[in-house]
Amino acid sequence: MGKKRKQRETEVVAPPKKDMSAEERPKRTLLGWKDKSEEVGKESDSSGFRNKEKVLVTCSRRINFRYRHLMLNVVSLLPHCKKDNKVESKASKGATLNELVELKGGSSCLFFECRKHKDLYLWMVKCPNGPSVKFLVNAVHTMEELKLTGNHLSGSRPILTFSDNFDKDAHWKLLKEMIIQIFGVPKEHRKSKPYHDHVFVFSIVDDHIWFRNYQISVPHNEADKLPRGGLENMTLVEVGPRFCLNPIKIFGGSFGGPTLYENPFYISPNQIRALDKKKKAGKYAKKVKAKTRRKMHELSNQLEPDEFADMWKE
Amino acid sequence: MDDGNMEESNEKASESELEAEEDEAVSLTEHAKSCIFDLDSLLDKVGDISWPENVGWIHKLSVDIDQQQEVDVNDDLARELAFYTQALEGTRLAFEKLQSMGLPFLRPSDYYAEMVKTDSHMEKVKGRLLAEKKKIEEAEGRRKAREGKRLAKEIQAQKLKERAKQKREEIESVKKWRKQRQQSGFAGGEKDVEMDLDLEQQGKVFQRSDKKRPGVAPGDRSGGKAKQGGGRTGKKPKKREQRNLKFGSGGRKGLKRQKTAETTNDISGFNRRACHCK
Repeated sequence: MGKKRKQRETEVVAPPKKDMSAEERPKRTLLGWKDKSEEVGKESDSSGFRNKEKVLVTCSRRINFRYRHLMLNVVSLLPHCKKDNKVESKASKGATLNELVELKGGSSCLFFECRKHKDLYLWMVKCPNGPSVKFLVNAVHTMEELKLTGNHLSGSRPILTFSDNFDKDAHWKLLKEMIIQIFGVPKEHRKSKPYHDHVFVFSIVDDHIWFRNYQISVPHNEADKLPRGGLENMTLVEVGPRFCLNPIKIFGGSFGGPTLYENPFYISPNQIRALDKKKKAGKYAKKVKAKTRRKMHELSNQLEPDEFADMWKE
Repeated sequence: MDDGNMEESNEKASESELEAEEDEAVSLTEHAKSCIFDLDSLLDKVGDISWPENVGWIHKLSVDIDQQQEVDVNDDLARELAFYTQALEGTRLAFEKLQSMGLPFLRPSDYYAEMVKTDSHMEKVKGRLLAEKKKIEEAEGRRKAREGKRLAKEIQAQKLKERAKQKREEIESVKKWRKQRQQSGFAGGEKDVEMDLDLEQQGKVFQRSDKKRPGVAPGDRSGGKAKQGGGRTGKKPKKREQRNLKFGSGGRKGLKRQKTAETTNDISGFNRRACHCK
């Protein structure tokens, strides 16, 4: 007991002694003298924030080849993601997926759900208790298409551009925040590469979010300065992939929870197909009806006997 | 009566159709009205998930671009153009910021690292681009050749016309002159001789040019004067040809002149007195 007290006393005494001593010499580095004040300034700047985003990317079973390639493309674009095995169809309920994400230690999830081998739904979820969004994915073009000729470093941090209508509504703001966190590569990630050589475009047109990925090509000599005509000579080449997201619902919890937002313009693909079939189905019946109607009409309004009907009979 | 029934059923069917359509329309509008929009909780969630305020821009790297015009979704070119301009504007702003921060953002030419598309894939892309380029160039070449041919033909036709015209004019002028002379009478003998000579020379000139000109191919740049030298050069090949046909190993009778058993034993062509037998 006595020993402990002594230790404490020494501890208390120690710090004031350090203050009394003379200022430490500034550290010597290769480039010059490193000032302590600079160090302190830098630390306060970053304020200890580190982007520790980890995205888990999975898909459901019976996914289409095109959508599987899209998923693989997304995996290659995000170095801070982890690709997991296919989940069973029964497991695509909320609880099991939540557990899976927690198991892998992810902070968000991109779940590609393919239904009927035709429709792709994308779940963008912030775990453990963040909001989740369900999208319907259209207009998919993967990176393997030969018309998309660009290329960039794998793992380099993209520049994210948003159209200004993301700030016009609350649900778009929420989506923008989620996209920045999921699609933005963390700054000092292990697998990230330096230099910014590609740019993502998220644009809201017709209440859909359109995604594009372009490679930036500027003729340049130095890594941190643009040449004089640099900004004018900059060209963008499309790398891919391309897709269009149609938000269906936004939930308060991850993979479920109270519905915060429903898209009023969303028509499910099943409904669209049903409507089409109905239109087609009615064709024959309508034709028959039209024929009988014509007959009725003819019977009711008899034509006058034609003067020239017997002309060529002879 | 059957017709009457038919009519009624028709009307009912059409009515039910209309009703069905109305129902659908109604359900859609109801759905639109009943859609949940929980503004407060949405904003709450935004606050929940967003990063602290003092996080530097360098972590987010997000740029907001003003979309100038409403873009028609179905017009592909306009839509893609809008996306392209958005990306371009975004990179411009971002690069300016990065440059002001003094951070490197352009990849040096000697920095080799793994790219998102494999080299083999890029080879395929390159192959396709080159093939397209080649197709275009070929089409261009063919079109130009066609145009050139047409032009050349036109020019040639014009040239021929001009020459014919010139010839005609010259002959006409001489005839006129002759007529004039005849009408004015033959004044002065020497002049006659000279005139006659001149006439003949002129006539000869015409004849000479007549000989060389016809038979000249349109594409012949030398003007028909490449193959010259008179009669001998024309005759010699003919003689050679005849001999080849008679004695050579090709031609129509080539097969008949081959060495066979019969021809070897046939010594009728040899002169008894001229052969030196040992």
